Amino acid sequence: MSLVYARHIALFYAQLIVNGLVQGLIVGLAALAVTLVFGVARFANAATGDTMTFGAYAALIGQKATGSLVVAGGAAVGATALLSLTVYALVFRKLAGRSVVALLVTSIGVGFLLRAALGIIFGHNQQLFTVPLVRPIRFNGLIINPFDLQLAAVAAVALVGVFLVLYATPIGRRMRAVADNRELALVSGIRPERVMIALWMLVGAVTGVAGMMLGMKTVVSPELGWEMLLPAFAAAILGGIGSPAGAVIAGLLLGVVQELSTPFVGFTYKLSISFVVLLLVLLVRPRGLFGRLEGVR
Amino acid sequence: MINRRTLLTAVAGTGALMAAPSVLRAQGAGSGPIRIGALNPVTGSGSPYGSGMQKMILAAAEAVNAAGGAAGRPIEITAEDTQTNPQAGVLAAKKLIEANKVQAILGTWSSGVSLAVIPLCNDAGIPLFHCSGAPALSTPPANAKGLGFRFQATNGRFGRAFAEICVKEGFKRPATMAFNNASGIGNTEGFRQAWEAKGGKVVESVVYEPNQASYRSELMKVLAAQPDVIVTGSYLADTTILLREWFQSGQPVRWIIPGWAANPDLIKALGPEVTEDIISVDSVSNEGSPAYAQFDAAYQKAMNQPGSANVYAAMTWDMVNVLALAIEAAGSSDMSAVVPKLREVGNPPGTVVSSFAEGKAALKNGKINYDGASSVLDFDQYGDVTPDFGAYFITGGKLERRYIVKI
Repeated sequence: MSLVYARHIALFYAQLIVNGLVQGLIVGLAALAVTLVFGVARFANAATGDTMTFGAYAALIGQKATGSLVVAGGAAVGATALLSLTVYALVFRKLAGRSVVALLVTSIGVGFLLRAALGIIFGHNQQLFTVPLVRPIRFNGLIINPFDLQLAAVAAVALVGVFLVLYATPIGRRMRAVADNRELALVSGIRPERVMIALWMLVGAVTGVAGMMLGMKTVVSPELGWEMLLPAFAAAILGGIGSPAGAVIAGLLLGVVQELSTPFVGFTYKLSISFVVLLLVLLVRPRGLFGRLEGVR
Repeated sequence: MINRRTLLTAVAGTGALMAAPSVLRAQGAGSGPIRIGALNPVTGSGSPYGSGMQKMILAAAEAVNAAGGAAGRPIEITAEDTQTNPQAGVLAAKKLIEANKVQAILGTWSSGVSLAVIPLCNDAGIPLFHCSGAPALSTPPANAKGLGFRFQATNGRFGRAFAEICVKEGFKRPATMAFNNASGIGNTEGFRQAWEAKGGKVVESVVYEPNQASYRSELMKVLAAQPDVIVTGSYLADTTILLREWFQSGQPVRWIIPGWAANPDLIKALGPEVTEDIISVDSVSNEGSPAYAQFDAAYQKAMNQPGSANVYAAMTWDMVNVLALAIEAAGSSDMSAVVPKLREVGNPPGTVVSSFAEGKAALKNGKINYDGASSVLDFDQYGDVTPDFGAYFITGGKLERRYIVKI
């Protein structure tokens, strides 16, 4: 009897962990987009959320036109990379060298503009991806949704892709050099303009994927990504700002902590618990879980 | 002191009045028109209803004026748009009160707007007639002076309707899920109170936060209690995510959901398979009444649609009629005299009437009881009415009304 009960309790918490991982994956993907921008351009880009929304709508159009989710993913990556590049060329490039605050405030403005434009073009009614509804896989009593496994795979692929670009390509090496020390990179003959273009396209592609996955999991409306911005910022900071792996792992961690806290604090307060965790980690380890000290490589 | 601007306004105002149809101009008593503000959600998320609401205020005022006006004076409507936005609503209400000198504001729709506008009405000593659901609008501080009158069901009454439907459908083990705001919790709390009063027990209750990427843990907790029905206080977006995740869980359960969440958009989003047998509950107009027939005809004429397309338009139609009858009964447009008369002309006892003209005639012989197009329009101590509710079942991707619930 007591053994059965213990198994029941263990299963309950295991299921909460699974649910938390799913929540965390979404947050982690969004945090990956946030942290990349920071790593690249050294400011907190508040337009990241709305750029994600743009990616979700691009994917929706792709799917409606062809019925294929692969095409949708391609549309999200392509269109968002292009948008990201356009925003860089028209806005952020002109502000290069200005203070971090100026860039942050500008990015808030860009976000507003994007959100308003999406609202005018697509309206405020919710839209959905047509994803076939499937019954879950039962694994030793645990309920796992096949779609969530695909989501995990996409997050992993996005992460690996970012790493490959950063660490296995010449342009990636130059990106890291510019991100590290722009003046030194200039002196060594790296043309920063070309590097920035590549960087913003990479950031855009990741943001597009994050937006599409968030949109597939929930419903697409002009406020989609904006509402995810705060948890994404939290995960990016917790993971160590600028660290791609840290962002994803911190997202997962926050998700799991949130769900595990619900038997004790209820669903209304689970969000605040994740911020308490954030606060505690930063008090003990101000650079976040995986952050490194500036300038050390 | 007369400066150039007030002079210009006066001249322009007189000009507008001269140009208006003759029924708008003063008849009988010779004093000026009674100014009333129509403050409706013409744009924003209330826009599917707002312009119909506004047109019915104008149409009802026209009918009042055709019957000789209230207390011998015509009603003049000034219309403004709330944009379904509290800031815009407050600006428009200020303009109506300060510049247009209106004696009452009719037809605010969303709870956020009504809660923002009602303090202005309290300060000005004029009534606010609204169509909002939030329970906070019944009591102080919002309704400290008893000037707020609600023509829609409160969220609590929605909850009572849910309980009636649970009884009728034979559910034994209901659970609740509520969006964490006044409206969502108002629905499920109203349900819990009514259900427990019937001797029932709610097996599980969950209040959830908005904007979550997933509600799996919330659902898991509710489904673990093995409910036979889940009653919600929810909106469209969160309901869409909840139902999709529930369907994928594979555990059979029925749902009772408010009409603003379980609507054709939800069916379109999730398809007929997921939404089959969901019970959607919405307030319905007083469809069998003579007042409804008159409203329906006016709505057809103004909007080229049946009156059933807009429950809120029936409410604004009643707003003008009951206000005009109270003015008639008070014999003046002084709101401190008119407001106490609202219950007198709307509630029993008295001769049942269904239009201003009928009521005006019957008032000569004693008390009247206006039965409206939207409901029988009996105000309780809080100024709230109790409309009927429709139980709609989603069958094969269509909402089908099976019966009416009276509470």
